[in-house]
Amino acid sequence: MVFHLRSILLTSGCCRHMLHSGFNGAARVRKSLVLAACGLFLLWNWDIGSAEMPAAGIVKSVKGEVVIFRSGQSLEAGEGMRIFMGDRVQTAETGSVGLIFSDDSLVSMGPASEMVVSEYHFVPIENKLSFVIRVFRGTIAYLSGQISKLSPESVRLETPVMTIGVRGTHVLVKQEG
Amino acid sequence: MRPTLASFILKAGVLLLAACGPGNLVVLIPDPDGAVGGVRVSNSAGSVEITAPHHAAVVKDETTAPSALADLSAEEVAKLFSEALAIRPMPPVHFLLYFELDSIELKPDSLNQIPDVMAAIRDRASRHISIVGHTDTLGEKIDNLDLSQRRALAVRDLLIRNGIPDRFIDTTSHGEKNLLIKTGDNVAEPRNRRVEVVVR
Repeated sequence: MVFHLRSILLTSGCCRHMLHSGFNGAARVRKSLVLAACGLFLLWNWDIGSAEMPAAGIVKSVKGEVVIFRSGQSLEAGEGMRIFMGDRVQTAETGSVGLIFSDDSLVSMGPASEMVVSEYHFVPIENKLSFVIRVFRGTIAYLSGQISKLSPESVRLETPVMTIGVRGTHVLVKQEG
Repeated sequence: MRPTLASFILKAGVLLLAACGPGNLVVLIPDPDGAVGGVRVSNSAGSVEITAPHHAAVVKDETTAPSALADLSAEEVAKLFSEALAIRPMPPVHFLLYFELDSIELKPDSLNQIPDVMAAIRDRASRHISIVGHTDTLGEKIDNLDLSQRRALAVRDLLIRNGIPDRFIDTTSHGEKNLLIKTGDNVAEPRNRRVEVVVR
């Protein structure tokens, strides 16, 4: 559906004109963003040392009971804990949690919420950029970071009933469980 | 904007949703700095674009197209998302501090930024402070690696003197490997003589 809509947009003359006229400025902005993001990426990877898979983010704030499911294990979330691609994060009825990702994205979850970091790639130097969060239930606040600036089409929030393409920047999602 | 009958009906619908509980909802709100982005909400039955602050989309189920809603009040948003918003961390902040040539002495403007760095740490109750030292390409690579490390340590010491515990600070150094401004070898470039501080 999304692809279908995009192809309609691209074939309309008006949008083609917009794309052309805005191209140079956008390319410049994009170039400087790539440079800034490369620095951020290097910085983050140095931070975490040479782990096999780079951490996607950290747990910044926790209230109540919050559990992270990772490779068949369940871990109680604590401040400073690292978050990796594939992690499933679950808050209890009285729990909530705030995460900071390495591209500066912020994700926070209210009570009785559950999500998976299904895709996270922040390697600007290789143009490897994507961020997909699958929301199963509850309330989620998402504030986009560098990935969405560099590659807006690679950022999605998915729920059982919808896909949210995030062009930026600050989005709230409520999904019934 | 004059409220129309349609927006009243939409608002009533939202209030009803909020009151009854059920409903899958997407709301676009302004960034902390006031800018507003945009989202496209789609499923197998259709899609809708939201580009205005506090506008929302409601999705009944996978086989019902998302429907757009007029603006929600700040109170309604706060009510539905209070806990997720209350725990949301403050955005990380990046500082670039610049140094004198071949020196670990901060330029005056950068020294004057230290109070801002301290304020950012305090505001976030941050325990995650990254400090990365860099140099320009003037001189030998090995000396520059050493210089970038001493620059990073100089900034770390400044923060420690201001009361930040050592264990909250992560210090690394890149020498001349990660230039902010790309140059050839042996080029003096003041903007590359820097330490980046990220406060999370």
